[in-house]
Amino acid sequence: MLWNFIKPILLFIPLASVQLVVMPLLSIDAITPNLIVILICFFTLKYGQIYGTLLGFVLGFLYDSISGGLLGAFMFSFTISGFIAGYFFNENKIEINTATNEFLIIVFISATINSFLYNLLSSSYNELNIFYFILEGGILPGLYTAFFALPVILFNTRKELR
Amino acid sequence: MIKFLRRIINNFKEYFLVVFLSIISISLFSTNEKPAIKKIRTFAFGNYAFFNKILNYPLSYLKNDYSLKELEEENAKLMLEINKLRKQGLENENLRSMLNFKDTSKFQLLSADVVSKLVNKTQGNFIINRGSYDGVLIGMPVINDKGLIGIVVDTSKNFSVVKTLYNNNLNIAVTIERLNVDGVLSWNGNELIIKNIPSTYEVKVGDRVITSDFSTILPPQIPVGIISKREPVPIGLLHNLSVKPFVDINSVDNLFVIKIVPSKQINNLEMNLLKK
Repeated sequence: MLWNFIKPILLFIPLASVQLVVMPLLSIDAITPNLIVILICFFTLKYGQIYGTLLGFVLGFLYDSISGGLLGAFMFSFTISGFIAGYFFNENKIEINTATNEFLIIVFISATINSFLYNLLSSSYNELNIFYFILEGGILPGLYTAFFALPVILFNTRKELR
Repeated sequence: MIKFLRRIINNFKEYFLVVFLSIISISLFSTNEKPAIKKIRTFAFGNYAFFNKILNYPLSYLKNDYSLKELEEENAKLMLEINKLRKQGLENENLRSMLNFKDTSKFQLLSADVVSKLVNKTQGNFIINRGSYDGVLIGMPVINDKGLIGIVVDTSKNFSVVKTLYNNNLNIAVTIERLNVDGVLSWNGNELIIKNIPSTYEVKVGDRVITSDFSTILPPQIPVGIISKREPVPIGLLHNLSVKPFVDINSVDNLFVIKIVPSKQINNLEMNLLKK
């Protein structure tokens, strides 16, 4: 069980660096893909909802600490993302969920909710309307993140074929 | 009764867990300014930034040239000088001597590279490769050769966190240069705006916005941007002004910290805006 937590944390270290150094170069109008959400979704679909919720919480804490942002914002949004992704967990469908287009849909839903909650929580500006938050603060980053989840599917499909 | 409670907890344990963890997250969120939390954050970003620096090295090596850096520093100094002269050209000599403006051209610039960026719609911030060992202090302004980028909000030994203009917890006092009208500039998640400027002022699209003489955090006359839109407030005789910054903040790689020591008599209200 402990190894199940250590594995994503070990993967998180280089992934967070890529997220903070490389991903800003690929941002479109401050919309960036979130690789950490992909990591959380992948492991949640493998190990279940409670695991995913806890993993989201731990990785959120680590990411908030190292990014210099507000402590608690990503913690909250990643926790909810892990919880949402956990709804799609099925012990008999792990391969299908992580190696087919379903993974993209799950990542899209989780990333949209993650980005929406983060923006809502960290924004002290209360004059923006909710549709702005849903579209620019949620759906667009969600779509961009889902696009970056494609390599996970390709990699997993190849593994299955072997 | 205990059996019943146990059954409920077993059936809904996922929900209890998510509520419990959410409460912890939100509690931490509201205690961001506590010294203990700050210490954890400073320790974490100060150490982890080292990894980012390693990853950033090949990228910055591809992008930068040393001579280019020197030229950028020269440009930044000239930009500050030009703005001072432009301001002086617009004002009466006598009035200027009476007001006794602060001199921005004597500030020492410390060059820095962006190590990592947190880019999103509400909380833009950078981590730069200069820290308290280099003399960086909380509150120091950060610029490049085009204008203002943000303010240092946290420092470790070798790295610092810069809150950029694209962060809705940063509010700065600015002046519309042509009219000498003051206002507060803030980021609303979509654009930089100056709120509630009376309609009687004939603000035009294209007017320059600079930091205000009234600001106790930032030195005056640092260029910020130009007015890009003027929108009336539905009720009253006021306008909201959209500002397009001179600096393309999300693509900044090299910047300068202006080494000024923030006054100890800083207006409490203005510091509160930083503490959020």
